Amino acid sequence: MQKTFFILIFSLLSQFIFSFVQNDEAAPDFQLLDSNGDEIVLSSFRGKRVVLEWTNHGCPFVAKHYKSGNMQSTQDFVKDKNTVWLSIISSAPGTQGYISPKKANELTASRNAFPSHVLFDPSGVVGRKYSAKTTPHMYIIDEQGLLKYQGAIDDAGGRGFMSKDLLKANNYVKKGLKELASGEEVSSPVTKPYGCSVKYSS
Amino acid sequence: MGIKFKLEKDWHTYWKNPGDAGEGATIKWNLSPGLSASSILWPGPERIPVVPLMTFGYNDEVVLLTRITSTEKIRFPLKLEAEVTWFTCKDICIPQEGVVDVEIEEGEFLASTHNTELKNYMSMVPTTFTGNLRVEELDNKFFVQSVSPGDEQYSNVYFFPYEYGLTSYTKDQIYEKNQNSFTLEIEASEFSLDLGMFEGIIETSTPEGKKFYSISYPLKTDKSESNTNVFLLIIFAFVGGLILNIMPCVFPILSIKILRFVEHSENSSANTLRYGLFYTLGAVLSFLLIALLLVILKSSGENIGWGFQLQYPLVISILFYLFVALGFMFMSNLVFGSSLGNLGSFAQVKNESLESFLTGVLAVVVASPCTAPFMGSAIGFALLQPSLNSFVIFFSLGIGFALPYLILSIKPSLLSFLPKPGAWMETFKQFMAFPMWASALWLLWVLSGQVDKDTVLLVLIGGLIISLSLWLLEKNTSKKLGIKWLVRLLVITLIVGSISILPTEYSVKESRAERPGYSEALLNEYRDSNQLVFLNFTADWCITCKVNEKVALNSQEVISVIEKKNIKYLEADWTRKDADIARKLEEYGRTGVPLYLLFPSVGDPIILPEILTKDILLDYLNELT
Repeated sequence: MQKTFFILIFSLLSQFIFSFVQNDEAAPDFQLLDSNGDEIVLSSFRGKRVVLEWTNHGCPFVAKHYKSGNMQSTQDFVKDKNTVWLSIISSAPGTQGYISPKKANELTASRNAFPSHVLFDPSGVVGRKYSAKTTPHMYIIDEQGLLKYQGAIDDAGGRGFMSKDLLKANNYVKKGLKELASGEEVSSPVTKPYGCSVKYSS
Repeated sequence: MGIKFKLEKDWHTYWKNPGDAGEGATIKWNLSPGLSASSILWPGPERIPVVPLMTFGYNDEVVLLTRITSTEKIRFPLKLEAEVTWFTCKDICIPQEGVVDVEIEEGEFLASTHNTELKNYMSMVPTTFTGNLRVEELDNKFFVQSVSPGDEQYSNVYFFPYEYGLTSYTKDQIYEKNQNSFTLEIEASEFSLDLGMFEGIIETSTPEGKKFYSISYPLKTDKSESNTNVFLLIIFAFVGGLILNIMPCVFPILSIKILRFVEHSENSSANTLRYGLFYTLGAVLSFLLIALLLVILKSSGENIGWGFQLQYPLVISILFYLFVALGFMFMSNLVFGSSLGNLGSFAQVKNESLESFLTGVLAVVVASPCTAPFMGSAIGFALLQPSLNSFVIFFSLGIGFALPYLILSIKPSLLSFLPKPGAWMETFKQFMAFPMWASALWLLWVLSGQVDKDTVLLVLIGGLIISLSLWLLEKNTSKKLGIKWLVRLLVITLIVGSISILPTEYSVKESRAERPGYSEALLNEYRDSNQLVFLNFTADWCITCKVNEKVALNSQEVISVIEKKNIKYLEADWTRKDADIARKLEEYGRTGVPLYLLFPSVGDPIILPEILTKDILLDYLNELT
């Protein structure tokens, strides 16, 4: 009873505060609309691995990952591997990256990207639940719904990012998924996310 | 050389650690031959919050400096060119790049506005902090403490980390200014990356403006400590394994087995050696299997949140019970699972190599009724060790267990030297109770440092009840099944009861309540009788006081020196500002806490530093006369 009470209070509070989710804990569930108008529930993917990608097409960091084909190659890597790719936009209305479903689908097509779904989180509730700080900010969730990785997509962060060759960088998401697939623990489960700030409503 | 970034109003660019988002600038210099450039000298940054995030950078304008040095005589005109990349951000970010160059002619030095600007920014580049600084990590918080260097009085101090994964960017840092020192409380990062070093810069505010200092302090990593005793544990495990062989229920079986193999091998030494090796393999693998089970148990335990650390009073008390019980089991005839002994006969298989292997396995199982106490202690210690050590310990135990047999299989003639099984084995088994109880005593001593004496007594009573329960079990030979189960139920209730009374919290600090509070009269009374007095002015809201108490005052060594030298300890608690205490503080020119006074038997008190370490405090206490 007491526990339920605390969970209730905590989940209420987490709507307002920036909470932190630790690895090996249950990834917070969410329900968001995708670019085709469907309700997507995270827990319905139990039994599959899930990759979360926080995105904002106007952010130069994100733009570079798509222009270089690095993000698409990572998406391609998870294809046919019992893995779902969810791109999440937490930009608040009126801020950079806040787009219509139609525009989102156009972007996906024009960039030759293949996320399983592009999700909209204009209130920032889901982003804050995951303490998503940057675009891109990546998370891997395992088949049991436990968070296994959070951080950068690769080690290309740091000064001079715009002139780096992303296809030569060490891709943490691919590495983490490979390790999970072979039954190992993720060797670098937390890395420093880099990029633009997520454009939350303040 | 300085490169100036002039941004539009409300736009910013980043420091070398940008905080939660963004990226700092890069500068690539193309220089005339003979010149070389340092890395960027970053002026101290500002906090630029982007709710709910925090970034570190420069608003409106910044000059990033580079030291250009020449190894030879400079040839004019000098050509300097820099390729620069940077981010300019407001609510959105724009990556930018550009090339700037300058040509310098030979001539007289002329002071210009640029020169003042350079000097200004140069004064914002951090220098190494010269004050006596330390960093303590307690309860997911860092406490940066320092004696203020020189006469500087900082109205505020803020820490900027160099790396991600050390301190929280968003949470407020609490600055506490004392008479001539300060303490800065910083929340640790939500994701600790175990950097090993506390590195970054501190921004200090004085009436004259802000200054930046770089600090670097090694953090304690308590991970390497457990390796020191592994070698000793291996030896103990090996000896333990040897001793297992002469336990009453192992030795007779083994003798018979050995004889059997000697007969079967028809005096071919190659065969006996092979059987010996297979036996060893069987025994060692069984022990490793036990280790594996333990490691699985341990890691699943850690997953659900209980760690097996020796520091916890609960773990120590349970181990105390365990060793009391183990001693009792050695002393009495109490055996668990004696029916397992019959399994030995299953090991008679046609293939003799396989039979020796199974004998090895079964020797471990068969022996369990009287090895349980031994295994119990090995398991107890292995649980406290890292997983790899558990395997090593059990491997060593297995080798020790199998070695006598292996030697005998190589040289069967040694068999005649073995003592005959007999009553001496029972005597030896009973003797083994004493090392167990000695271990129990040691655990109790450890516990007495963590909880108050009433709790220690409670744990001792629990030990008594455990012994009583085991005695009941031993005497429980009633033929009537009902009575037998009734007694067993009672025993279980008693054991569960005695575990439930165990302490889960540290309670040694409650003994502070026994320390008398400060009063002028009491102090005078002690002084008049020429007693040594330690007067501690503290308050619950004083961070420096709390850190000093945790790190120095409450340490076991300090407490024992205070007791040994019969120093009277007085605590003046200023949590609720008290006029008497305020007057006393004023006497020593203080307006606040902490203040530590050491009164020698005669003469004026010694004022201790505001920031105490165990060593400093012990030095003062030991010299006090």
